[in-house]
Amino acid sequence: MQKLKRYGRLYRVLVSQFLKTILQSRVDFFIGLLGFFFTQIMGIAFLYLVFEQIPDLQGWTLDQLIFIYGFAQIPRGIDHLFTDNIWMVSWWMVIDGDFDRYMLRPMNVFFQVICEKLQPDALGELLVGMILIFLSISKGVLIVDAAHILCFFISVSAGAVIYTSIKLFFATIAFWVKQSGPFLQVAYNLADFAKYPTEIYSKGVRFLITWVIPFAFVAYLPASYFLIEKSALATIGLECLIALIFWIVAYSFFRYGISRYESAGN
Amino acid sequence: MIQVTHISKEFVSPKKYPGLKGAVKGLFSNEKVRKTAVDDISFHISEGEIVGYIGSNGAGKSTTIKMMTGILTPTTGQCLINGIDPSKNRMENAQNIGVVFGQRTQLWWDLPLSESFTILKEIYNVSEEDYKSRMDFLNEVLDLPEFFDRPVRTLSLGQRMRADLGAALIHNPKVLYLDEPTIGLDIVVKDKIRDAIRQINAQYRTTVILTTHDIGDIEELCSRIIIIDEGKKIYDGGLEELKNTYGAVRKVTMEVRRMERISEIDWENRLHANSSLFTVQTDSEKNLLTVSFDKNRIQVSDIISSVMEVSDVKDIQIQETELSEIVKAIYRHRI
Repeated sequence: MQKLKRYGRLYRVLVSQFLKTILQSRVDFFIGLLGFFFTQIMGIAFLYLVFEQIPDLQGWTLDQLIFIYGFAQIPRGIDHLFTDNIWMVSWWMVIDGDFDRYMLRPMNVFFQVICEKLQPDALGELLVGMILIFLSISKGVLIVDAAHILCFFISVSAGAVIYTSIKLFFATIAFWVKQSGPFLQVAYNLADFAKYPTEIYSKGVRFLITWVIPFAFVAYLPASYFLIEKSALATIGLECLIALIFWIVAYSFFRYGISRYESAGN
Repeated sequence: MIQVTHISKEFVSPKKYPGLKGAVKGLFSNEKVRKTAVDDISFHISEGEIVGYIGSNGAGKSTTIKMMTGILTPTTGQCLINGIDPSKNRMENAQNIGVVFGQRTQLWWDLPLSESFTILKEIYNVSEEDYKSRMDFLNEVLDLPEFFDRPVRTLSLGQRMRADLGAALIHNPKVLYLDEPTIGLDIVVKDKIRDAIRQINAQYRTTVILTTHDIGDIEELCSRIIIIDEGKKIYDGGLEELKNTYGAVRKVTMEVRRMERISEIDWENRLHANSSLFTVQTDSEKNLLTVSFDKNRIQVSDIISSVMEVSDVKDIQIQETELSEIVKAIYRHRI
């Protein structure tokens, strides 16, 4: 408990330092935000364009698809907002030896990695996600009751953990190959598949995003719980289990990777 | 305080071949190159010592320091810093040590220096009271107030080094590691940094381990030095001892008027010594005669009088071997 309090305090201190730094360059901040917002709008426009031609897809209506799309943005945005610095580990910190810094301070290394940066771009994803979800609620495509609202929060948290675990796992490869950015990029891009129902994909892709890099569990599967009467255990429960397993695997791998860290010469 | 037992560090990297063809070949080959950066090093350092850890570039200095600080895990062997193994209890160890890498800052680059200190105070859990007394001391020995409110990126190298040194000491570490703390600094700042290190050591009995290429750092700060070369420890002992053992050679250079008569001197007889204890070099163009000799066995006056018997001497110069010469010789495996 004492420890938790200390880390909470440190998080506030470190993140506020980061905020002070980026507020010094306000222009970058707003451009980043704007850029991401446009990316999102393009994504939705694309969705409408496609579905104007196809009224329903494997039994899903446009309204339902829009919810899946919007819902997928939330865990992605949460992860993006809080753990974006993992990318730096995979691209630069290991090869440059900048990772040394984390090893010298009396704090958990993973904690230090994520404290160093918040990604304001992620607010675009979160905003668009929220808008689409509220739109879906107003159109009445969702089941709204106490259990579903509770499950919503559990699900987006678990989804964010799955995102973080996948990122951490692929970033850790950098301890062996120095730069694992390309691997991480490929894995992360698979998340785009999660915005649509997995049924539309071929067997191979479905297998990949369900059991190898489990992005199917961050959006489509839990989304189906909110759209149609499905058991919470088989959807949200399963999502939490997958999140837990992947987190344990990724974090253990990260811990092992640290012991292999080779730093860099002067 | 510090117990290093038989540590080695081996780096494994995929084998590289030259050229584009080689690069493609390297992609598919599974050959590995092993490089032993640190090879079975052991030593013990007591509380309050200032130890110079020296060696040529790539000798394994930084690798050793990185193992002692917990950045790297030794391939074999163990270090215990104040009873803690950094590779097992990294966080506990981190609380006890301060580290300054001359070529890399650990301060928050875009923020005023004062902010870095506030953050570090939180990170190391320093109490308000300790922080105050600590800062008073650091301000005095490092003159931090001069630039305390300026963003770190605007500091000069000398100011930044002082700031980094201060930042490494805010939590009163028992051990301070300095990796090339005076690199690139001018004489005045170097003096200031050395002075600060001396005062910190005297006041708090902080154990200091420093790597450097600057012989001045060693002569002014260290009572003991450890020399490593190609990953192996080749010397561990006092500075005076090193000078006496390896630095007994002295050189006398004379400008003589009648060079042609120098060859008449029967050196062995006149110096009462075997010819292995001295060497004679002549430069007939400049009329210079140089005799290098073991100062423990041969009197410089014997050399001078022998020469003066055959020729007038216009100028005499006597040189002690400098530490840098000794170190150079050691690096070149001459000793």
